[in-house]
Amino acid sequence: MNPPNPTTVAASPPETPPRRRAIRLPKDRHAIVDNFFRFQSLFGLVAVFLIAIAVSPSRNGENVFLSSGNLANIVRAVSEIGIIAVGMTFVILIGGIDLSVGAVLGLAAVGSATLMVDSGLGIVPTVLIVLFIGTAFGATQGAIVARLGIQSFIVTLAGLQAARGIARMWSGGLGIPIAYGEGPQEAPEAFSLLSGSINGVLPVPALIFLAIGVGALLVLRSTAFARHVYAIGGNEKAARLSGVPVRRVRVTVFAISGLLAALAGIIHAGQLNQGSPNDGAGYELDAIAAVVIGGTSLAGGSGSMGGTIAGALLLGILNNILALNNIDANVQLVVKGLVIVAAAALQRLRPRIA
Amino acid sequence: MTDRPLVRMTGIGKRFGGVHACRDIDLTVTAGEVHALLGENGAGKSTLINVLSGVITEHDGTIEVDGESVSFAGPADAQRAGIATIHQELDLVAGLSIAENMFLGREPRTRLGTVDIRRMRRQAEAHLRTLGADLDPRRLVGSLRVGEQQLVEIGRALSLRARVLIMDEPTAALADAEVERLFATITELRRAGVGIVYISHRMAEIELIADRVTVLRNGTVAGTVDPRAASRDDIIQLMVGRSVDALFGEGRNEPGDVLLDVRGLAVTPRRPVPGRTEPAGVDLTVRSGEIVGLAGLMGAGRTELLETLFGAGGSGRRAGQVTIGDRPYRPGGPRAALARGVAFVPEDRRGAGLMLEHSVADNVVLSALSSLTTLGLVRRPLVRRTVAEQLTTLAVKAASPSIPVATLSGGNQQKIVFAKQLLMRPRLLLLDEPTRGVDIGAKAEIYHLLHRLADSGMAILLASSELPELLSLCDRVVVLHRGRTVAVLPRASATQQAILAAANGDDVKESR
Repeated sequence: MNPPNPTTVAASPPETPPRRRAIRLPKDRHAIVDNFFRFQSLFGLVAVFLIAIAVSPSRNGENVFLSSGNLANIVRAVSEIGIIAVGMTFVILIGGIDLSVGAVLGLAAVGSATLMVDSGLGIVPTVLIVLFIGTAFGATQGAIVARLGIQSFIVTLAGLQAARGIARMWSGGLGIPIAYGEGPQEAPEAFSLLSGSINGVLPVPALIFLAIGVGALLVLRSTAFARHVYAIGGNEKAARLSGVPVRRVRVTVFAISGLLAALAGIIHAGQLNQGSPNDGAGYELDAIAAVVIGGTSLAGGSGSMGGTIAGALLLGILNNILALNNIDANVQLVVKGLVIVAAAALQRLRPRIA
Repeated sequence: MTDRPLVRMTGIGKRFGGVHACRDIDLTVTAGEVHALLGENGAGKSTLINVLSGVITEHDGTIEVDGESVSFAGPADAQRAGIATIHQELDLVAGLSIAENMFLGREPRTRLGTVDIRRMRRQAEAHLRTLGADLDPRRLVGSLRVGEQQLVEIGRALSLRARVLIMDEPTAALADAEVERLFATITELRRAGVGIVYISHRMAEIELIADRVTVLRNGTVAGTVDPRAASRDDIIQLMVGRSVDALFGEGRNEPGDVLLDVRGLAVTPRRPVPGRTEPAGVDLTVRSGEIVGLAGLMGAGRTELLETLFGAGGSGRRAGQVTIGDRPYRPGGPRAALARGVAFVPEDRRGAGLMLEHSVADNVVLSALSSLTTLGLVRRPLVRRTVAEQLTTLAVKAASPSIPVATLSGGNQQKIVFAKQLLMRPRLLLLDEPTRGVDIGAKAEIYHLLHRLADSGMAILLASSELPELLSLCDRVVVLHRGRTVAVLPRASATQQAILAAANGDDVKESR
């Protein structure tokens, strides 16, 4: 690929073939195994999808699971958790955790409702303000983690409480219904688009999730920022000594998580036509589950965005098919637990380097 | 040493993927002998040791203990058979006491089922005494120095009634006095009939304590020799497979202008960290094209000085002046230091130098990422080319740039750290023990590299505990004692004695 350097007795083996865009086939068994584990969640997703088709009830000879209405339901249901999980992936990749996302979602939902209904703001200022609040909240948590060196678990646990508290104070502890119309105490009609679909098929929230997911995928794949994220998770000290701006990256990552949680909160308010301070309770755990099922290591430094997206979809399909078969919601929880453990166990089987 | 072997390994082989890590190796250990295992990194030492200690369970060949064939399902099996391992990275829990560490997992119990703390302490004390260590078993392991921690590990092995002790580079992290104590301990163990497998890169040590030397090369036994009969050159030749005559280059260029000027540098830490010796009056200069050595005993503050110069030291009030080129230099952190053309290769390459699980390529380009991006996007083809170039210039042996760094040998890992820093095209290179844990072949390559870099005009400041290394490599040697410059010895007048005398300072007895 490049002329060998004449100053050395080149001991390094030949480079991979010069053709750039050629699909590189796994060279040996090790690579195949490695790729299986790398894309474990994708395989899992396909498997769960096929199982769902198989066990789905049918109505009038039609597979209920595969009906477009049902598939749309799944992606709609997944999108909020999915968007949060995208942000969570960045945080977990640097070896952190963000427990505050569910509460920030609630805060954002309350914010959206209050700003439009009570303060009479338009959609654009409302969205910008709410996103700013979420970002600032995340960045503040990141700054505390980076500056004071407190574990992110603790900082965001505190953040969770604080965000819930602020949301309750702001809303007076009650859900704020959103009515649409032109008059006072009414939100602009356009906001209800969030509960709609494009062509009656693709739900708007799913479209947003898709956009965010693809964007994050690209960011993680090809930016220097992403290399820094992985480096910090891999070995923070080495990263710092290599000139990686560790603090800045850390603050940015938590800011992203806060931003996406707020975005999910806006969507939440739009879908339910209200903003309640209790919205999003427990969402942080579902998001973490999606990341874990996606094969990202809680220790940081390794994982992928594709895995997280697949993990979120997998959880959504699982919930859906269990519900279609009228399986008790409590049983659903147990099944979800088992899947998380199975995914993590599968990662343990991944061959490690001695 | 005439009695039957404690351990006999026959025809040991192990493959990883398609690569033979070792092949058809025979090794015996008899009671009361120190059997040294030598070989370059990647020669198969670790694999062999992992087979013997039960870490690797699937392998070719047989292992006999006391004449009986055994197969280990795990390290616990090997321990039960009396084979204990002292790893380079010690397996101790810092937050527990010496006694608790020694009996971790098999604490003696009272009749009520609670831990019999007094018995545990008594037994720990007895083991420590056997080793000649005057330590209170109630002390936390985290408060011990590395040499003392090692004694705790050996004590644990004794409490397991180990008859074969594998020591993997036990002196790598020890100060000279501690090495002496370790050797006394080894003599004691040998007298008690323990067989010791001793791995080290240091020839002088092996000549001193080994009864037999087995040299591995490319996964096979290159020869087993008596160190008293064989010369050092013979052994090196066995290891490398060729004779290494010119380890150190000759004929250096004249150094240029002063690049780094340090005057009266002192740091008063905001929160003093025990065990750290911050600079307390350092004067030195490094000219471009010059290699300056930094000598001193353990705790003299060599690492702390390099870290301070790189902006990675502890926070605190600084006094004195540092200039690089003509401009004053006060780095706020590693990032700022790199921007000023200062690069640093830390001592602990696994802990502070590399992302072990990440690929070779990712590690190489980490520092230089900003020069390999457009609008924050990494330019992959450029990265690929850059990495390939660096790997070739430094002659790194890696199957591919995409394999994890952890799979490389120590010497090649160190070259990756170098590659990463050199990509920043530094004017001043700070090196902390750059050849620690690196085999003799890679060492020679690193020395050649340093000469080449100096000849190209780079200023190099190198801290090392190996005096021969300093003497042969450096134009001048700066000796530190308790954070202060106590001597600057030009090449002509630098001798081991002179350095040691200066390093010991005025008062002979080191209090800590």
